[in-house]
Amino acid sequence: MNAPTPALVARPDRLRLVGQRRQILAVMHQRLMFGLIVFAAVVTLIVGRLLFLAAFGDHAGRKQSLTSFVPPRGDIVDRDGHPLARTIDAWTIGLHPAKVLGNKAELAVRLAKLMPERDEVQWLQLLRSNKRFIYLRRRAAPSLVQAINALGEPGLALEREPDRLYPQTDLAAHVLGFTDIDGHGAAGMERAFDERLSDPATRGQPLVLSINSRVQQALEHELLDAKTKFSAIGAAGVILDIHTGEIMAMTSLPQLNPNIAGNMDPEARFNRATLGVWELGSTFKPFTVAMAMDHGNVKSMGQIYNCPKQLKVYGRAINDTHPFGRACSVAEIMKESSNIGTAQIAAETGAAAQKQFLKLMGFLDPIEVELKEKGRTLAPRDWSPLATMTVGYGHGIAVTPLHLANGYATLFNGGIYRPTTLLKVGPGHAVAKGRRAFSEETSYKMRSLLRLVVTHGTGKKADAPGYRVGGKTGTAEKLIGGRYSKTVVVTSFAGVFPMDEPRYAMVVMLDEPKGTAETFGFRTAGWNAAPTFGKVVSRIAPMLGVRPDMRREPNMAEVLPYVREEK
Amino acid sequence: MSARGFASVGWVAGVAATALGCYMVSLQVASTRASLEDVETQIVVAQRDIRVLQTEIGTRGRLAQLEQWNVKVLALSAPQANQFLDGEFQLATMVTPKKTVDPAAPVVLASAPAPSPSARPLLSSDADVANPAEPAGTDAKSMMHIASFKRDLPAPEQRQMVVKPVPAPAKAAPAKAAADAKSKAADKKTAARPPAAKTADNKSAVSSAPSKSPAKPAAKKVVDKPIVVKTAAADTSAKAAKPKTSQPKVDPLAPKPAKSREAKPKQ
Repeated sequence: MNAPTPALVARPDRLRLVGQRRQILAVMHQRLMFGLIVFAAVVTLIVGRLLFLAAFGDHAGRKQSLTSFVPPRGDIVDRDGHPLARTIDAWTIGLHPAKVLGNKAELAVRLAKLMPERDEVQWLQLLRSNKRFIYLRRRAAPSLVQAINALGEPGLALEREPDRLYPQTDLAAHVLGFTDIDGHGAAGMERAFDERLSDPATRGQPLVLSINSRVQQALEHELLDAKTKFSAIGAAGVILDIHTGEIMAMTSLPQLNPNIAGNMDPEARFNRATLGVWELGSTFKPFTVAMAMDHGNVKSMGQIYNCPKQLKVYGRAINDTHPFGRACSVAEIMKESSNIGTAQIAAETGAAAQKQFLKLMGFLDPIEVELKEKGRTLAPRDWSPLATMTVGYGHGIAVTPLHLANGYATLFNGGIYRPTTLLKVGPGHAVAKGRRAFSEETSYKMRSLLRLVVTHGTGKKADAPGYRVGGKTGTAEKLIGGRYSKTVVVTSFAGVFPMDEPRYAMVVMLDEPKGTAETFGFRTAGWNAAPTFGKVVSRIAPMLGVRPDMRREPNMAEVLPYVREEK
Repeated sequence: MSARGFASVGWVAGVAATALGCYMVSLQVASTRASLEDVETQIVVAQRDIRVLQTEIGTRGRLAQLEQWNVKVLALSAPQANQFLDGEFQLATMVTPKKTVDPAAPVVLASAPAPSPSARPLLSSDADVANPAEPAGTDAKSMMHIASFKRDLPAPEQRQMVVKPVPAPAKAAPAKAAADAKSKAADKKTAARPPAAKTADNKSAVSSAPSKSPAKPAAKKVVDKPIVVKTAAADTSAKAAKPKTSQPKVDPLAPKPAKSREAKPKQ
């Protein structure tokens, strides 16, 4: 009873309190509700996504872009699809000096035993160095990798890395080139097509070259044989399809092994076929005659020129190896490779016309080919009358062997100059557009003239029975210290076969061949380059689909009447 | 009441089962897809392996290596120009057919004890035309002929005989032979005459061999032959045999010589 009675009327502050609480409760309910909805939405979203993934999504182990094999760098294959360059996974041995746990001195001893290129002290220095990572061996042999692995040292890293392999070793090495340590092309086609070979979009398809590896092998083998036999310091060879400009084979000696290009002699890395320019001597004479025929000065193979034993012009004497000392016909001039006769023919044609023809044949510009190793040709600066004469027989102008081969191709494919190519001509790579350099008639008439050189003249040893070889020898004295050496020569043979229906042009060049007992000490092209040419032709012609036929010949009646029989 | 109470449970169970079923389907699809991917991976791995092996084989059997083996061991060289042929025909010309020894020949030889005196005239009549002045010389030769062709024997050997005297004068021979054959065939059909008569016949035929006659016999011979052979079979005499054999000899050349013969006798 004595409890305080509640006030009959609520105190105003309390009343206010109750109202406030209700309000607050309502707000709280609202907020809770909102939170609930948000949570529910999030859960729904997650569940929905899960369901969606369960229904339509990929599973966790899904791998991508593995449906076909794409090499890390595109293959290079020859025209028949034989691989010339491939990328393989090679073992790499590396060293993290900081991660080495074991006894470093002991490890150094063991490493020195396994990899004797460094001794124990050097290995120890390497193990104690502050470098983060050192490559010990690239493209290591599996047995070595196994032995290193058996050491159980965590500081030694064994990894598989893509590595460029050239299965044919030095075959077509100068065409293929090689890659640097990062796998980018450093020379040859590897360099010229680096982007295409490394682009993921295009590297799946191999790069198809115009090279025929069997022909290439035959050329390389025979050239190497000749280089060894005649103790030459180098050699070069080119085989061209004269109708398409495709290079069927191209080689430069000494050999280069692109698998270890970095360790090779710079001399071996030098591409003599496209980068080196040479005064190629008498192999130019057919061009001079063709120019004169096109120009209208030489109207027949029987046109007579006076060929004294020595020709003195503009304070210089021009000599012949087989002096005539009589009047002789164009056919005879070509047959005996007379400088005196050719110089007169060139002088008749004149400097301007000669220059124009050489320009049309591409002899005054770097060779047109995909490779980036291109030599700049050398030509007389002033093109004086004397220079015109010397250029007529191939002196005073220096071009690459590939230039020369393409010149012969131009002369014998009907007179049309085409850029050479190292990519197979076919769908996707059409024959390059050409330009006319000689008339078709001149091209036709030259056939018998060059065949004559092989059947009766200086190039007899180049004949491959049945294959109707035609061509021209060239022996040029080398410029040494600004003077022509009497003893050091560059010999070459440039020719075409089969002569009655020319299909392939070939150039064989030997750098500084020496005389041998077999050649009676001679070092002229007829004794070394010509037989090499003949041997190569008789090997490659059947591969190239040239049928030997003893009964076919070009029309020799055009030249034979103008050759005086020697007693 | 109870059934209705379980209805909700049933619904839940149904929905759960359906969801599970859907999930199972999805799982199935995923696992199939995964196994497919495994196969694809295997294919890629196999491709890579093939590449590695190809590269290895290519490297071991590189052309330079093959060349080295060839130089050191095999010593093969490129074919020479004269080793290429134009086709089957040229190839066939390079193979001389083997001389076939006819197994029947010895038997026939045994059955032909050629009565040389009578045989000679026949032959000589043939040979006469070629070189009339060698009756003595033909002796051994004729023996040889006899040995080499017999009545039952097929044509080839006799053909050889004809081929030998091919030169111009010999061409007359077939004509006469044909004439002979005709007359003889006729003879024999009527009656087997003594050899002397026959030779006379032959000679008359040789002398009289008209330009017209050869054409007919040429056609007839074909028909005649079998008949003649029969008569020959009947005739045991060697003479009978010879004319017969000489007929087939002529026969193969019959169509062509017919013309040349016409030309020649006229001369």
